[in-house]
Amino acid sequence: MRNLVLGGVLVGLVVLAAVLSFFWTPFDPVKVDAAHRLLGFGGSNLFGTDKFGRDLLSQLMVGARTTLYVGVVAVGIAAVIGTLLGILAGMSPRWLGEFVMRVNDLVLAFPALLLAIMFGAVFGADTLTAMVAIGIATIPSFARIARSGTLQVMSTEFVLAARAGGRSRLTIAARHVLPNISGLLIVQASVSFAIAVLAEAALSFLGFGTRPPTPSWGRMLQESQELLTVQPRLALVPGIAIAVAVLGFNLLGDGLRDRLDPRLAAKV
Amino acid sequence: MKARLHVLAAALLLVVSGCSAGSSASVSAGPDTLSVGFTAEPANFDFTRTDGAAIPQALLYNVYEGLVKLDSQGRVVPLLAKSWTISPDRKTYDFRLRQGVKFSNGAPFTAEDVKFSLLRVKTDWTISIKSTMDVVDHVDVVAPDHARVVLSKPSNGWLFSLTSRLGAMFSPTGVADLANKPIGTGPYVVAARKRGDSVVLKANPAYWGREPAYKTVVLKYIKDPTALNNALYSNGIDVISAITAPDSIPQFQADDRFQVVQGTSNSEVTLAMNNARAPLNDVRVRQALMYAIDRKALLDTAWAGRGTLIGSMVPPTDPWYEDLANVYPFEPAKAKALLTEAHATNLNLRLRIPNLPYAVSAAQVVQSQLADVGVRTTIEPLDFPAVWLKQVFTDHDYDLSIIQHVEARDITTFGKPKYYWGYDSKRVQQLLAEADSGTPEQQVADMKQVARQLNTDAAADWLFLFPNVIVAKAKVGGFVQNQVSESFDLTGLAPR
Amino acid sequence: MTARVLRRVAIFVVSVLVASIVVFLFMAVLPGDPAQVALGVNATPELLAKTRAEFGIDRPLVTQYFDWIGGVLHGDFGRSYVTRDTIGPQLLDRLGVTLWLVGAGMLVALVIAIPAGTFAAVKHRKASGAGVSGLSQIGVAIPAFLAGIILVQVFAVQLRWLPSGGWTPPNQDFGEFFRGLILPALSLGLVQGAVLTRYVRSAVLDTLGQDYLRTARSKGLRPGQALVRHGLRNASVPVVTVLGLQLATLLIGAVVVERVFVLPGLGSMLLDAVSSRDLLTVQGIVLVLVVGVLLVNFVVDVLYTVLDPRLRGS
Repeated sequence: MRNLVLGGVLVGLVVLAAVLSFFWTPFDPVKVDAAHRLLGFGGSNLFGTDKFGRDLLSQLMVGARTTLYVGVVAVGIAAVIGTLLGILAGMSPRWLGEFVMRVNDLVLAFPALLLAIMFGAVFGADTLTAMVAIGIATIPSFARIARSGTLQVMSTEFVLAARAGGRSRLTIAARHVLPNISGLLIVQASVSFAIAVLAEAALSFLGFGTRPPTPSWGRMLQESQELLTVQPRLALVPGIAIAVAVLGFNLLGDGLRDRLDPRLAAKV
Repeated sequence: MKARLHVLAAALLLVVSGCSAGSSASVSAGPDTLSVGFTAEPANFDFTRTDGAAIPQALLYNVYEGLVKLDSQGRVVPLLAKSWTISPDRKTYDFRLRQGVKFSNGAPFTAEDVKFSLLRVKTDWTISIKSTMDVVDHVDVVAPDHARVVLSKPSNGWLFSLTSRLGAMFSPTGVADLANKPIGTGPYVVAARKRGDSVVLKANPAYWGREPAYKTVVLKYIKDPTALNNALYSNGIDVISAITAPDSIPQFQADDRFQVVQGTSNSEVTLAMNNARAPLNDVRVRQALMYAIDRKALLDTAWAGRGTLIGSMVPPTDPWYEDLANVYPFEPAKAKALLTEAHATNLNLRLRIPNLPYAVSAAQVVQSQLADVGVRTTIEPLDFPAVWLKQVFTDHDYDLSIIQHVEARDITTFGKPKYYWGYDSKRVQQLLAEADSGTPEQQVADMKQVARQLNTDAAADWLFLFPNVIVAKAKVGGFVQNQVSESFDLTGLAPR
Repeated sequence: MTARVLRRVAIFVVSVLVASIVVFLFMAVLPGDPAQVALGVNATPELLAKTRAEFGIDRPLVTQYFDWIGGVLHGDFGRSYVTRDTIGPQLLDRLGVTLWLVGAGMLVALVIAIPAGTFAAVKHRKASGAGVSGLSQIGVAIPAFLAGIILVQVFAVQLRWLPSGGWTPPNQDFGEFFRGLILPALSLGLVQGAVLTRYVRSAVLDTLGQDYLRTARSKGLRPGQALVRHGLRNASVPVVTVLGLQLATLLIGAVVVERVFVLPGLGSMLLDAVSSRDLLTVQGIVLVLVVGVLLVNFVVDVLYTVLDPRLRGS
């Protein structure tokens, strides 16, 4: 319960910052201002400014949008495709299920970052490219969970009854399977969200992530590097933001897991 | 179980230890060893077929030598040629060669090698600047120590180009594997290479000239500017050849352990505008962009104020340098007026840049400043070199780009209509041709006119001249302040 | 059990084959002409055509694929378009660096995770246990490269105890090699250790609740003894699975850490090859990485069969 609340609060902070940034930021986050570069904490700019004289707080707020965008796209792709594949594998004949899972294992062999670098090379480095790659790489974890959840649900008495009653597979999938495994999937989504946020940061660090000047926490961190000794603030601010978001989503996932049927959760 | 897992991990480590035996770079740190950090690593050692600044930076003057070299003031001085004479029609050059010079494979250096090397540029080289050698008509071997080069027309640029990689002397016995085994007459030979890490140069025992002070020089390749700085702080290297994290310079200046050498380079950080394509084919639009960009602010933010505002393609070390930095002052109102006049009020330009630190920094400033006069830009960082070279440089698929033009006297590129500037001016082409074939005085006068004409036409925006900032441990001396050649010349370095 | 292992072998071989085709096709659609990159910008069309023929990239894709994969099976990864050097030995050299890094990172992770995770599980009702769990939560949230940057700042730049980066082969100077490996291994291992701690904790917690452990305790064993005698082996099954998955993550995490510490490993080789469109090299590296991950999964699966008493019987 504690996890759930704390996670909710941290994630809520990120969401709040992102939503608020659409209506108001203290300064224009991308406006270069030579006269006000590298200002410290406090003063006219709460978190100070970067080497371009851009307001750090404003960048942080707009960066929260990027973070959420990243998570939503990556997790969205993974959840939709992965869940469908998993349910398909769980409900179809054994051989087909096995086959889907083998393909799944193959996708698993292309780790997210590797896939993102390859996609970046083919389609040009960009947030969307990176996120599609991370999304694809995350499909297998959803598929696995969806399949094992499906297999469990399929062996329950009410599903057996429904099947005996002549309900179509599609109906069973929609009425019984999906609602019963959705809790697990939400937990997985929360954890995957955290992973996607970390992956975006790593990719931005390598130059395969968000394009300038769109504010992104990963790129803020990367740009702060050369000034680390003199202006550790520049790294601290986005670094803490990333940690807060990741921590928030992880805690949220843990909390949700605790609230779900622990027996089912432990099996997956 | 814990124990078993540890055994597993240990076994894995043991298996792996056998794998990394392939490297042979062995460096003994001592007073005659110097470690120099660079950002760009040579892909191979063949600068005749692989473009880019990294290879000549490492090899020219250090491993390869030419007949002449550039001194620190940018003057052409003797190297493998003791002296030379130029005929009155300025088409025949007679070079008297230094005797007793040997290639590192033992072959003696003679006029035959001069002929071989100079003619080989036309037949075997593939890089873009080789065309400068087209003017060579033929080479005569008058005597083993006397080579005569006859040009098809007088060319001031030709002798100058001999100071670059184009003038490097090769032996017919030493070109079999240029990519891996460079063989020159220089004070150093390549002793080892560890890809992704370093190149080790050792003093050439048979060198004809003064023995270098450092017997072993390790060229360390560290792509990340911060990692490069850290390597100097933590004793990984002794010298940063050119700092690319300018905001960190004051830290080094404040620290007694280090010295900072600051000068100019040949490298103009240029905002290229596609002159051949709408909307930038309209001179008013280009001029508007010139007025819209506050170059001082750009330099201050993107490069911590280090560098020089020059306003032209001519660095201060060239004889025809003039300060044109204030031809287009920062006047956003004027920019807007020009844009309105050209009916170009709703522009959306693609700023396609190499994904290098200076370009990414400068692009963000350019974007912000252009936005203030209502010009929208989309920054597209491209993999450098591969994608940028293909799409921007070769296919001219861009509106704006930002890149350093590092080659010496590269203002001549504006005389090539097919160059990626898309700039086609008969007057400039004519002036450049006149300058090349005229007397040295005429050359200076003509080149000044070229620079002014380019400025008037707003052929490109020369954002700033890249500074040459070397940071080194206090004990190392002999650095050259201004970087005028393609080489990071190791020959003058010595402990102090 | 043998049948199960054999089946796994078959699946592994087929997966590797399919993966190689995927990798190859991926490279085929990559924009950028290797011949153009190799020759520079003023190359004539004739020379470009000649170079394409030299590289063999003017042939049909199927021929190219079989040529490549045939070579790879003999350890020949071809000759790089950019460096003009054979890729195989280079790849092996770089792989050595990366494996050292991953191995050392894994060791750090295990050294942290096993005691910390077990402690957190045994004391899960106490503040100290919760404290360890909380710390691991925070550890998971820190990007590995940020950990690396901070470690460099503190131990290399400020204190100057350890090198900020670079690589010394172990057979050249083991002391230097070891010193150079400490910070990269820590930045990789600390974060992974935090991830692993959570799994160890939940695996041990699970085991603690099992009947046989309760029986053991009722026979008079103290909780610690019971756990060591009976519990850890069972807890190790899920941990080994996670370990396998983590090893794959580490392999890729190494790419980023290599950049921070300027290590000439597979990751930096990959990034360089991508930016110079050295396709054959990219292809080779990606294949090695993907096969590496498949191999780890395969080994984990087999280990799983061996470790799990329930599966062993069947």
